[in-house]
Amino acid sequence: MTETELREKVAAYTRFPPRGKLNIYADTTEFMSIQSDDILELGGVYYLVRGEEVEGRFGLDGEPKYWVKRVIDLGDGCSKIIKLVFHEKFLMQLGSLQIECFRSPLKEARILDKVRGDLRFMQGVNVLDSAGNQVRIIERIQGVRYYDQIHNLQMDHESYFHERFPAIFDNIVGCIEAINRLHEMGELHGDIRNDHILIERESGKYRWIDFDYTYDWAENPYGVDLYGLGNILLFTVGKGFHNLPDLTACGPEGIKMRSCLEPADMSLFFKHRIANLQKLFPYIPDSLNFILLHFSQGARVFYEHTDELLQDLRACRLDIASN
Amino acid sequence: MKEMTGSPGNKVLIAVDLSENSLKAVDYVGAMLSCHELAEITLITVIKEPSADIVPDEAERTRMVEEARSETLALMEQAASRLKALGIPEKHIRIKIQVCRKPMSISDLILHEQQDGGYGTLVVGRRGVSKKEEFLFGSVSSRVVRDAKHCAVWVIE
Repeated sequence: MTETELREKVAAYTRFPPRGKLNIYADTTEFMSIQSDDILELGGVYYLVRGEEVEGRFGLDGEPKYWVKRVIDLGDGCSKIIKLVFHEKFLMQLGSLQIECFRSPLKEARILDKVRGDLRFMQGVNVLDSAGNQVRIIERIQGVRYYDQIHNLQMDHESYFHERFPAIFDNIVGCIEAINRLHEMGELHGDIRNDHILIERESGKYRWIDFDYTYDWAENPYGVDLYGLGNILLFTVGKGFHNLPDLTACGPEGIKMRSCLEPADMSLFFKHRIANLQKLFPYIPDSLNFILLHFSQGARVFYEHTDELLQDLRACRLDIASN
Repeated sequence: MKEMTGSPGNKVLIAVDLSENSLKAVDYVGAMLSCHELAEITLITVIKEPSADIVPDEAERTRMVEEARSETLALMEQAASRLKALGIPEKHIRIKIQVCRKPMSISDLILHEQQDGGYGTLVVGRRGVSKKEEFLFGSVSSRVVRDAKHCAVWVIE
């Protein structure tokens, strides 16, 4: 495509076309140099860079992710996300433990290929740039983060549990089934969090995003993913996390409830987070609470495979429906 | 290396990770079996090959494995010396270093070796990992105890 043709495409798909020279990058190695209004040429397709993705946590603003560009595909005008190669090694906090975590473009690219067509996961294609960097071109999901969806529900817990929870539970079980599929393929998600599930606005589908984290593999390769799934379940059943300081802040009744809690009731990884939610909400069925207790300090047995967790979740479904 | 051909009842496989705890397991077995004239002991350790997702270059992964193998061999020979010092005849001691690649796990390899080699006794050290660590990373000794078949398992703590 000539520069003139490119400018025509840009003008067709944007309200504020760039002026001045168009910088076209076929080699994305120096991703910090790639700015808004630059063009990426990947696999014969041109993309206009609109900026970087920003990822915050728990509703807070975060840092820009310079290796993740927001783009417009100049072939069809669609908004997409392009993830460039950034090999990062860092310590990830899992509760009070730290583990060494690696960002792996190869892993994410491989998983994208394996889950193509499975809309429980973000969709995308993989392209090598002119320098051989593994670039992932992701279809943008228009929707809300699961964390925000639950956090913003304006209702008391008992109403939530009886009116909204059964359908949400079914969707979360669907998400866990998707993770189980990954595990059966010998893959990990690697960064299971409440804000890595997006609920697509149009379809209402729950979809996993961002699976580029990996770890030096351990005896049980699924432990880190199961840790994340446990947190999601606690969050879902509890309509948010419940911590000891929150109870104290509720006055005499909260303090009395706090006095009924023991160390065995608390999360294995977050000593102030309550895992035995039935003590707060007695209408939670035993079968469901039993699952949550696998993630508590009192647990004697842990789930080793996602399939084991799914079996227990399916077994408790009738108890939820009957409430 | 001379193959051990003794009966399973005399063949002992000690899984070591070269931690202080696993060397205690070596010492314990040496002390217990020094009076057993027919005991044949194999020390096995497992090197994990780095994941290709973390070290994409195959030549680099091979280099890292070979470096680990050299370091490990020296330490395994020291462990073997501890057995000799406790009275186990040198001809009854064998060293084995295995390389573990995904999707196999360390306990898979150890159990496979136990079956293949016809060992009647499998010895593992228990490191005493925290509950959190066991949840996240698993435990070789716990898996071996759970999944070992047709042998005795000694867990040394």
